Amino acid sequence: MEENDDKAKVTHRQEEDEEVKQEIWSWGAGTDGQLGTGRLQDELLPQLLGLPSLSSSGPISLLACGGAHVIGLTSGGRVVTWGRGTSGQLGHGDTRNSPNPKLVILLESHFVSHVSAGWNHSGFVSDTGSLFTCGDGSFGQLGHGDYKSHSSPVKVSYFVNSHVQQMACGMRHSLVLLKDHSGDPIYAFGSGKRGQLGISRGKVNSISLPKVTRGLEGAKIVSIAANGDHSAALSANGNFYTWGRGFRGKSDAYYPEHLTTSCCFIKAALGWNHALLLSGNGEAFMLGGNRHGVLNNPDKMSSAEHLLDSKEAILEEVPGLEGKKVVSIAAGSEHSALVTGMIFVFFYHGGVIKTWGWGEHGQLGLGDTLDQTSPQAVSLGQEVPSEAVEVKVYCGSGFTIVIKTRDAPSHRSGHTENPPRQVN
Amino acid sequence: MSYDDVEIEDMEWSEELKAYTYPCPCGDLFQITKEDLRLGEEIARCPSCSLYITVIYNIEDFSTQSDQRTNKAIDPSKQNPITVA
Repeated sequence: MEENDDKAKVTHRQEEDEEVKQEIWSWGAGTDGQLGTGRLQDELLPQLLGLPSLSSSGPISLLACGGAHVIGLTSGGRVVTWGRGTSGQLGHGDTRNSPNPKLVILLESHFVSHVSAGWNHSGFVSDTGSLFTCGDGSFGQLGHGDYKSHSSPVKVSYFVNSHVQQMACGMRHSLVLLKDHSGDPIYAFGSGKRGQLGISRGKVNSISLPKVTRGLEGAKIVSIAANGDHSAALSANGNFYTWGRGFRGKSDAYYPEHLTTSCCFIKAALGWNHALLLSGNGEAFMLGGNRHGVLNNPDKMSSAEHLLDSKEAILEEVPGLEGKKVVSIAAGSEHSALVTGMIFVFFYHGGVIKTWGWGEHGQLGLGDTLDQTSPQAVSLGQEVPSEAVEVKVYCGSGFTIVIKTRDAPSHRSGHTENPPRQVN
Repeated sequence: MSYDDVEIEDMEWSEELKAYTYPCPCGDLFQITKEDLRLGEEIARCPSCSLYITVIYNIEDFSTQSDQRTNKAIDPSKQNPITVA
């Protein structure tokens, strides 16, 4: 890559003498515009996004990827969205798809601190603790007390007297984590057919007003996650709780269940049939996922299903990492991604992106449509070996997005771990 | 092998597609028409990928000519228009 080209591609932003250069790459299913390339097609290899519209809003600090849309949160608290908009999930006041990132104007008067994307709905949390939702509301997943959909972010009035910290959007349900809660940390709404709301012992069809998720009283929850019909939470001491659809053919859980293990986890990511967990020691584990990487191959799948009978521990270490430290994990509906071994010294020292699972739409970024049962390295073209790089990976249902940030302030201050946060 | 078993009551009627739909992990929708259901078809396919689901339903709900019975399977709450601000 020519140096001049490189300069033109990356986002330059002068902020208190700190220059942040960012590259955003995307690949996989793209027919709804979710790759942000401006094209409506699948991409089997990573595509570098030219995002001139973002340069005025600052670098992206967090992405949330849903069924076929993406929400980007900038360091300045602004929100951009792109991809499928047919239910109003982009928050632009219409129901059109957007193949390019577009600023959500209606949130301009707020400093947004957290975002989440579900199958067809979206959540935005402001730094003052207000929650806004838009998109598909057919199952009550917007939390407004009705089953209407909205194409612009609407404040969830149930939480006007609370301070919302995070939202996690699943296929048809939503979780909300309160800040400084005394007692019940998590509220849930939307479809509860598989127990994913954690609000009652029996089946709940749908609720449109938030209700307390039971069984977490007194637990200091620091992050929440939702995808498909799964829900999960992590506590400050590294405990992992999960409820909703059972993993690996196990029965559904109607209340949060604590995963018994000696590991302490700092991050969790959920797919539609698997969960990824990152331990404080940089080890990656998978829960469920017996069909991970064999979805396209019925023969392999049936042999994998046989393993169900063995009743072995269902938490398995992700294979093929050869002891490399994992620093970032992400789960799509049926694929996974992680980043290994970043060392924040004066030169580029790792940050290898690996993907595995279902690959039919190119969501593994390996140049083909094959499935993979163990993590494979993804190439983003020529690397510049002289700079510290922070690599973050995000997965939507059938696509993957990577953000590379050079000379990020967090590197200079020596922090190697971000606080755990929800990923979709 | 079927990706999942899904009850017809968990599928959504799409007026645009004239089909019952359910989210596919690729981002598109599994689809099956009323005519398919009337004929006893139980596989809903995704137009974008190779995956398919098995639809759990009672064929009597669809095999009669009565539209009233057919409509029972459609939840009217899921056809709300989108509020455009």
